[in-house]
Amino acid sequence: MKHELVNKPDFDVLVLSGDIDLHHSPTLRERILSSLKGGRPLLIDMQEVSYIDSSGIASLVEGFQTAKSSNLHFGLLSISSPTLQVLAITRLDKIFSLYETEDSFIEILEL
Amino acid sequence: MKTVESLGSSLLASLEQTGRTFLLLLIIAYRIVQPPYNLYPIVRQIYFIGARSLGVIVISGVTIGMVLGLQFYNTLERFGSVDILGSAVALSVLRELGPVMTALMVVGRAGSAICAELGIMRISEQVDALECMAINPDKFLVAPKLLAGIISVPLLTCVFSVVAIFGGYFVGVVLFGVSEGSYLNGMIDAVVWSDVRLGLVKSLIFGLLVTLICCSKGFYIHLTKSGSLGAEGVSYVTTDAVVISSIAVLFSDFLIGAIL
Amino acid sequence: MTQETAIEIRDLVVEYGNRRILNSIDLDIPLGQISVIMGGSGAGKSTLLRSMLGLKKPTSGAIRMLGTDICTASPGQLQEFRKQMGVAFQGGALFTSMTVGENIQLPLRQHTRLDENTIQIMTRIKLDMVNMLPHEHLMPSELSGGMTKRAALARAIIMDPKLLFFDEPSAGLDPITSAELDELIIKLKQSMNMTIVVVTHELESVFKIADRIAILGDGGLILAGTPEEIRASDDPRVVGLLNRTPRQVNVDVDQHLRRLSGLQEASDKK
Repeated sequence: MKHELVNKPDFDVLVLSGDIDLHHSPTLRERILSSLKGGRPLLIDMQEVSYIDSSGIASLVEGFQTAKSSNLHFGLLSISSPTLQVLAITRLDKIFSLYETEDSFIEILEL
Repeated sequence: MKTVESLGSSLLASLEQTGRTFLLLLIIAYRIVQPPYNLYPIVRQIYFIGARSLGVIVISGVTIGMVLGLQFYNTLERFGSVDILGSAVALSVLRELGPVMTALMVVGRAGSAICAELGIMRISEQVDALECMAINPDKFLVAPKLLAGIISVPLLTCVFSVVAIFGGYFVGVVLFGVSEGSYLNGMIDAVVWSDVRLGLVKSLIFGLLVTLICCSKGFYIHLTKSGSLGAEGVSYVTTDAVVISSIAVLFSDFLIGAIL
Repeated sequence: MTQETAIEIRDLVVEYGNRRILNSIDLDIPLGQISVIMGGSGAGKSTLLRSMLGLKKPTSGAIRMLGTDICTASPGQLQEFRKQMGVAFQGGALFTSMTVGENIQLPLRQHTRLDENTIQIMTRIKLDMVNMLPHEHLMPSELSGGMTKRAALARAIIMDPKLLFFDEPSAGLDPITSAELDELIIKLKQSMNMTIVVVTHELESVFKIADRIAILGDGGLILAGTPEEIRASDDPRVVGLLNRTPRQVNVDVDQHLRRLSGLQEASDKK
């Protein structure tokens, strides 16, 4: 897994790529939580993610919960269809805020 | 001819089991030194083998102490030497009865439960499940029990001995009026370090033997005829485990006494 | 390792003592599909499963799973391989001293250094998958048969295995619960891209879930193929199994008489 945090004017984007499995999800979790500590909305760019296992999804769930409790927007950007299927089996696709483009996330922020 | 055959096969089976049991000891010894080290399961087992046996140990300790006080008092009174009642009770408890009785109590209280638990885990595929999860069953299941046995039995023996000496004190001093000074001082004069050490060495070996035999009997149930008998098989191996470990305690008691 | 095959079994012979249970089995289990191993009682299904799990060492032959030959693998290699596989045992094999949740977390706690929160969330994700979320804190003794199987399945998939073995998923369950389990198995294959091996003697679910079927009989492989090929087969043993007709035994008069009169030689045993 590779990860890169991009600071946009109003929010942060965490760009992920590669496989996210048991070995990487602690890093992912730490990145998400530390970014949220800054008090800015977070968008996770999942376009380049080839595989995510349930420990990775668990980290996303925890990040989402943390963001929610501090009233921050937390979105997932361009989820691939295999990942979406993994989310769907536990009905998480209905829980997370999923976005096709960065602009649609910005629109939500501006509301 | 049939009799000889069945005698031979049961002899072979018991030799095989003895071998397996000692092999298990070696395997566990090897596994224990390898990481990861996890203390919590050992503490849990000490609670189960040790703490929960405390009640039985205290009650039987007091009773044995009182019986000893009574018997020794009756005998010693005939020779007019009730002054040595304290040392007589203390020596027999510390050297012999403490370790042996404690070990036998642990066999009945915890050993049988350990054997049945492991036996049931084996026949209900829980041991297989552990292996398939890449968790080593020797280390995960057997090692904590073995370590807990080695730690708990000597501690329980100490409790037993102290309580038994007070049982003797109660009968001798409180009921029969032996002077308190002669009971306690006589004991202090007569008991030397080697008596205490003998008791500790015995209890350590008993703790190992009892838990090892009970673990091995239950853990390897599938390798014996009882393995295919389900619940009935578990009851067979548990009975076996109790009988064999009791005999092992008594026999090794003699051996250690003869050597040390 | 070829990409398409998850498990390659070559000339597998398994004996217990001097009794031969499996006789020269050759079988390929394709990757990412549900393969069902069928056969009547005593056909050698469980023995084949135990060999694939590395619980029973074969007398001869090879079992290559995801590129590892588990018959010749070192204990360390076997250990590593087993972290990629999950097994749901017939009776569940849940640890009775732990709650359902603790049972499911056990592999994670033993093999990973994940954060406590992550472990908790993963546990609940898997419990939710098998519809057991409300029962996390129950003890195994408080579960019904169907719940036990689902909890066992949740434990088997906690590490996101590539290979999942399921022993008799529908044995002893009512038709509705067993149909739900079948759905679940199909969902797991689709969403998590698992290779799934199901061992069963229940016909009901086989044709619903199977991509491939292998039929065992008397320690040998009778037929392996797609459900259509199995249906089309005219092998009497396959037809018998599908139509649930009792086995026809060819009677050798002399041998049978010898058997009944107790004069059979010990060496007659297979």
